[in-house]
Amino acid sequence: MTELAFLSPDRCAPEVKLASPLARVAVRDLFGIGVLELRGELPSSVEAGEELVRLTPDRALLVTAGSPAVARERLRGPGTRVYDLTAGFAALEVEGETLFRRLTDLDPAKLPAAGPVARGVGGVVTRTASGTFCILVPQEYGHYVAEVVLDLQQGLA
Amino acid sequence: MRLPPQPGEAIDRAEEVVFVFNETRVSAFRGDTIGSALYAAGRRVFSRSFKYHRPRGLLCCTGHCPNCLMTVDGVPNVRVCTEPVRQGAIVKSQNVLGSLEFDALAITDRIGGPFTPVGFYYRTMIRPRRAWPLYEKFLRNVAGLGRIDPEAATHRRYDVEHRRARVLVIGGGRSGREAALTAAAGGPGVVLVDETSRLAGEKLEGVEVLTSARAIGLYEGGLVPVDAGGVLYRFRAERIVIATGSVEQPLLFPGNDLPGIVLPSAARRLIRDWSIRPGRRAVVIATDGRGLDVVADLESAGTEVVRVVDLRERDLSSLEAEGRKGLRRVRVDGEAVDCDLAVVSGGRQPAYSLLAQIGARVEYDAGRGVFVPTSLPAGVEAIGSVTGAGLAQRVPKPAYAGGKGKCFVCVCEDVTGKDFDRAIREGFDSIELAKRYTTVTMGPCQGKLCHLPSIRLYAQKTGVDEAAIGTTTARPPWGPVEMGLLAGRHLEPVKRTSLHFRHEEAGGQMMWAGAWKRPHSYGDAAAEVRAVHESVGVIDVSTLGKLIVEGPDAATFLERLYPNRFADLRVGRIRYGVLTTDGGRIMDDGTIARLSDERFYVTTTSSGSEAVNEWFEWWNAIWRYDVEIVNVTGALAAVNVAGPQARDVLARLTDADVSNAGLSYLDARELAVAGVPCLALRIGFVGELGYELHFASPAAEHLWDRLVAGGARPFGLEPQRVLRLEKQHVIVGQDTDSESNLISAGMPWIVKLEKDDFVGRGAVELARERGIREQLVGFTMPDNALPAEGAQVVVAGRPAGRVTSARLSERLGRVVGLAWVSPEHGEGDEFQVRVDGIERTAKVALAPFYDPSGEKLRS
Amino acid sequence: MSFLLPCPHCGPRDVNEFATTGEVLVRPKGKPSITELTDYIYFRRNVAGVQREWWYHRQGCGTWFLAERDTRTNEVLKVELPG
Repeated sequence: MTELAFLSPDRCAPEVKLASPLARVAVRDLFGIGVLELRGELPSSVEAGEELVRLTPDRALLVTAGSPAVARERLRGPGTRVYDLTAGFAALEVEGETLFRRLTDLDPAKLPAAGPVARGVGGVVTRTASGTFCILVPQEYGHYVAEVVLDLQQGLA
Repeated sequence: MRLPPQPGEAIDRAEEVVFVFNETRVSAFRGDTIGSALYAAGRRVFSRSFKYHRPRGLLCCTGHCPNCLMTVDGVPNVRVCTEPVRQGAIVKSQNVLGSLEFDALAITDRIGGPFTPVGFYYRTMIRPRRAWPLYEKFLRNVAGLGRIDPEAATHRRYDVEHRRARVLVIGGGRSGREAALTAAAGGPGVVLVDETSRLAGEKLEGVEVLTSARAIGLYEGGLVPVDAGGVLYRFRAERIVIATGSVEQPLLFPGNDLPGIVLPSAARRLIRDWSIRPGRRAVVIATDGRGLDVVADLESAGTEVVRVVDLRERDLSSLEAEGRKGLRRVRVDGEAVDCDLAVVSGGRQPAYSLLAQIGARVEYDAGRGVFVPTSLPAGVEAIGSVTGAGLAQRVPKPAYAGGKGKCFVCVCEDVTGKDFDRAIREGFDSIELAKRYTTVTMGPCQGKLCHLPSIRLYAQKTGVDEAAIGTTTARPPWGPVEMGLLAGRHLEPVKRTSLHFRHEEAGGQMMWAGAWKRPHSYGDAAAEVRAVHESVGVIDVSTLGKLIVEGPDAATFLERLYPNRFADLRVGRIRYGVLTTDGGRIMDDGTIARLSDERFYVTTTSSGSEAVNEWFEWWNAIWRYDVEIVNVTGALAAVNVAGPQARDVLARLTDADVSNAGLSYLDARELAVAGVPCLALRIGFVGELGYELHFASPAAEHLWDRLVAGGARPFGLEPQRVLRLEKQHVIVGQDTDSESNLISAGMPWIVKLEKDDFVGRGAVELARERGIREQLVGFTMPDNALPAEGAQVVVAGRPAGRVTSARLSERLGRVVGLAWVSPEHGEGDEFQVRVDGIERTAKVALAPFYDPSGEKLRS
Repeated sequence: MSFLLPCPHCGPRDVNEFATTGEVLVRPKGKPSITELTDYIYFRRNVAGVQREWWYHRQGCGTWFLAERDTRTNEVLKVELPG
């Protein structure tokens, strides 16, 4: 077992059925993406399907479209510590400027950003190529945040 | 009487709207308000006043005064003068015993005066004291205006929306519209909000206009909450322009509250917006040009204007109004003039409230007799009549003498000039005190119509000038706000573990544990306890805080943070650690496992994970060690498999050596269980052979299912509480509080004073030297009485401590618990505990009740 | 309380996104007397003026930093990272 293997869902044996924190709520679930926290020297560029969200000059999240395994190995280095926090996040896709403004007071013109969503849950928000929003929140709050999104959608229907 | 169609009218005569008022059908046009429709239908009495139940009619038609408050579709206290008509609306009068025409409570007006002067409730209805329930019942029925109808149940949805603006203009009058257009020329992000439902003037290019949107306050950081009915817009604005204009003020004279006496705004709106002739014969008394302009409107509407008084030319020496349920005549300098309408204006007072809220000073302009805002803070501008610009008016008399009729200073609270005399005589000699005693400005208008007149009257009666008296503090909200809007959506943040739904499916009784939902038990707590003692149970402990602390300075960092030693912790071993504040108080506890020379795995209490993470980060911000602190609380789920058969269950799911030699008590090892890589910690909170498995949360349901299929019985928080109590394990926050220290909590062995400095070192040393004032001990109850948590320990009739935890242990056949008692108590000593009001005996027991030598844990 | 605090990494944010330990203190060196310890734990200067404070961007980037804030007006004059 290599280092901190118990953090990475992709290290589970193939027969292990992985469950999303949003499995029981009807939102656009992005389960299957990877989230790595990078500390120290940050990469100047990333591969296709990856997005770097800089939090501070020496901390960033790297969001991968699929498994983070390759990026995890690639980015580990003498000046960079890599922590696989994939299991720590619930990720959902949300659409609509008005809904966004009712979900968070983050400035939609200044994304990606880390800030509170749904009344005080610290999350990270990025904008997808199609203009929708990708919301990452601690997985223990995932179901709650999804319920808030569904409620807001109802209010705007 | 409805006038013929005219350009600019707000009503659409092609669209009829019908509503019900007090069981009568009323016909109106789209564009009418409920008030204008009732007025057009001939109604003149709209309400009865708060204290004296005097008849009141339309006064302002701008939503400021209280005179038109009615209940609409079950919602009380609606200002019908600005409320648009709705098809089928049910409108009812309020605050009457009888009807608007004949209100029995008007008796207070006729004879109640001497009994209900200002502040009467401080002097009456006090004795006999046992009659208070009667007084209270009476007062509750007569106080207040509208009544909430529990049956009406308006299910309205309220949302909060965050908005940004480069420039936010508040007020859509001429000045506000001009400012918005100017700002829009400089770029996007210009928003104009106005509290009325429609704006005059042309479309504003490049400006986002929000109508029926009232800015209710100005807060620091350019925060302006805007009430738009069902949505609260939380605006953050870089620049705020206040163009809130000014409010027409009444004149004070005997009989000034009669229906038929209106402000110029009411006359103007009735005529121009709703095409209604406001009266047959009118008198106009004004202090400024805008007030006198209304003469032309009245004449065009066919009202006979029989007398015009321009107070700028010559002030009056006396003025009074007479009538019973409506105006019949006025006496101007003693001369009677018959009329059914009097348009009176005491000038306009700038609506400075929002500016005052954000720190502008407010100063008296003696020339115009009004308060104007000065010295605005950065980022806030004011334009238009709110600054005093364009107000050219004569200062009227504070009150005009006349006949014996009541002269009202505040029509909301029925405060008269005589009430002011009395308040001053009784010594309420500042405007803030006078306000609170008379309740002037504390009614529905919140001072819009009475603040300035009351200050002028106060100045006249006390001889102190207005500038010295000053104004009372302006506070939000500027207009009434529904409580639901401030509450917003009522979803509250809840943390769920990745096993939450497995618990629900298994019959778990979910309860709040801090912000988490956890199962209290699965229906049979006693059986769950037995399973752990006799076979094997499994509990979800994913809520534990989990931190990875790694780096060249990791050991040094932990040594300096904890009173414990960690530098000598061998790789693969675990130690129990207690975190102390710099005051030496117990802050949190958990286990620290050393995974390598430079890597430690720290657990915290469930409610302490965020606080401990912040604490670690803060100290490292100060010390700047080469160490990473990574919060993996949510990333990792955790379960504790405990019981004599725990090893068997685990061995069937892993290839790793989990024999007692292979994975000993207090060992930490990475291994795969049911295909899931885990960090296994062999620790024992519940007193039996146990393994705590930490693993990635998406794999939790899979692993849980395999453990349960392997024979582990799920157990919840309640059985866990019993089991740990049998072992006398302390729960930080339950058995300790913010004053407890390591010595008094019975853990002196944790402190390693041979170390260099650590957080709390000085305090711990002092605690050692000065001695402790209390100690945490285990106890049993010989007669098995069960004390409540928090039950008092009593010694010689005085409180001397408290019980922090207590349970009946089926295994031991006794009630056991933990309590804070005085330091002299030793093993076997007795003390008294108050149970259900009776003192029962408890006995100190310093060793764990169950398996004191820890054989089972180490097996 | 609704002033904007300029996080050195994230820019101006609502103050409620942050936690604070309050004014920066000088920790007693060596073994303190009971008076020195009590002062350190319980007493604060509590100035009506510019105060140097620790702030933590709890709902954002998770960084601890120092700020100088005028306690009378909530104007934040300066923010800086420690060290």
